[in-house]
Amino acid sequence: MNLRFFDWIWHIKGSLPLAHGQSSDEVFERLDPLFRQTGTTHERTNGTLSFRKKDPAAQDKMSVFDRGVLKVENDGTGGVLNYYLSSRALLFCFLAPLLFLSFGQLTVALGTLNKPSAEAEKTAEDKKKDAKKEAERPMNPIDKALGAPAPEKPDKNKKDKKPSPTPAYVFAGIFATLYVVGRFLEQRLVKSLFKKRLLGETPVALSEPA
Amino acid sequence: MDGVRVGKRVIGAESPVTVGWENLPRVEGGPLKQFVFTWFQPTVLFALLAFWYYAPNSIAKASTAIGIGIGFKVLLLTMEWFFPRHESWRLTWKELTTDLFFVGLGYTILRTVDVYIGDGAMIAAIQKAFDWDKFNWFTGLPLLVQAFMISFIFDFGQYWMHRGMHNWYPLWLTHAPHHFITQLNINKGAVGNPVELFLIGLGIGGFFDFLPRAALLAGTFGMAVSTYQHINVRFNTPRWWRFIFNTTEHHSLHHSLDYEATRSNYSGTWIFIDRIFGTCVDGEAELLGMEGGRRMSIREQMHYPFSEAWKTLKEKFGRPVTAVPAE
Repeated sequence: MNLRFFDWIWHIKGSLPLAHGQSSDEVFERLDPLFRQTGTTHERTNGTLSFRKKDPAAQDKMSVFDRGVLKVENDGTGGVLNYYLSSRALLFCFLAPLLFLSFGQLTVALGTLNKPSAEAEKTAEDKKKDAKKEAERPMNPIDKALGAPAPEKPDKNKKDKKPSPTPAYVFAGIFATLYVVGRFLEQRLVKSLFKKRLLGETPVALSEPA
Repeated sequence: MDGVRVGKRVIGAESPVTVGWENLPRVEGGPLKQFVFTWFQPTVLFALLAFWYYAPNSIAKASTAIGIGIGFKVLLLTMEWFFPRHESWRLTWKELTTDLFFVGLGYTILRTVDVYIGDGAMIAAIQKAFDWDKFNWFTGLPLLVQAFMISFIFDFGQYWMHRGMHNWYPLWLTHAPHHFITQLNINKGAVGNPVELFLIGLGIGGFFDFLPRAALLAGTFGMAVSTYQHINVRFNTPRWWRFIFNTTEHHSLHHSLDYEATRSNYSGTWIFIDRIFGTCVDGEAELLGMEGGRRMSIREQMHYPFSEAWKTLKEKFGRPVTAVPAE
């Protein structure tokens, strides 16, 4: 199976043009703080930086990605930073609607299986008890004086509460929306993060001696 | 780090914490902002209590409470976005998605399990067998007293369940994943292993569904007080409020990277339960989590209690590995 037709689901590809004459060492030096985070390992070889993250902190600006490769290349017009990042969080969010749809189906199936017991007829004794309960709904005089509504008589036809599949379908919708938002948002955020670091102040290690 | 002596304990020796209300920062800004962030919490609580007290029977229903609860959370998420308590706790897409996944589990599969084998099933059995005449003394009490008692008894149970989780290893294994969160946000209360969410959900809450108004009033304390446990917003919480109720300050200490600090503030709503039993510490922390602040993935959250239990059992009862000397 060729993964490249659907690996866009959890991979983010992009490129950034570099300033004239910016070397790969300078580029990676500027990006270095992003890869010096808890749970992140990285290595640099010949204009390529590859990294891996395990349990990154929520405060890590690239925590949504688990691994990736950044390459400094020349596209003919000048230097370019190409990156290819992988995110299990995006994949998980893409699949989450299916999980919640299956929860919804399971709820429906369980509801069908338990129908006979749910609608089992009440015994005469239960009915007697219900009638008694209906007659006794005391209300404290303080509540009466303060104007609280009188308690409602219990609904004789009230059915047993059974779980509804609706929340599962709502969450399937929420995760589908979150996926679309996340896929575009994280692509934009990582690009602006790299851009900011590359255009930002010169790292101390690379600044010219005074 | 020296830490601060609180009773017999030293809090903050492993990770920075602030102890004592007088040492906590206050909301900065103009008089309007100060006013809003001082009176927001009490106003919402009293407004909701008044609403549930006077709402006609056709409105005083669980479905209305669910709607208000969702709307309130959206409002608090907006407040978190515009007025974060700590920049380092700001909600990201990944954090929001992860939190909502756990919220989703609570609304779907866990609710289903609860109905069949959790407190839903137990309550149904008890309600059927109970002699309601013996309960008249309670149903005849003023509504607000009933509501307080329902909320207090429920929280009292939760206090001991939570304290038990911090003191008994098998229970701790289920609760530990929740302590790997590294920041507080509105939905973080739902993050944890499903076994824990099931255990913490076991309570008497549903037992009172034959008293809809009292139960809804009791739920208001949960919504308008407990929700603030996990919030990234600073309030100038009134002195009386923080004496009686749990706050995000109390709960941030409970989630601190400092071990001693985590052994405090166990209640969900009524912090005075902690005061009664000597486990309350007033203060706050920004650095949260366990094991140096590593964030636990959803996958590990799911298997941690079982994999850790297996590791421990293997260490205790497994065959010791003996080193073979080289010849």
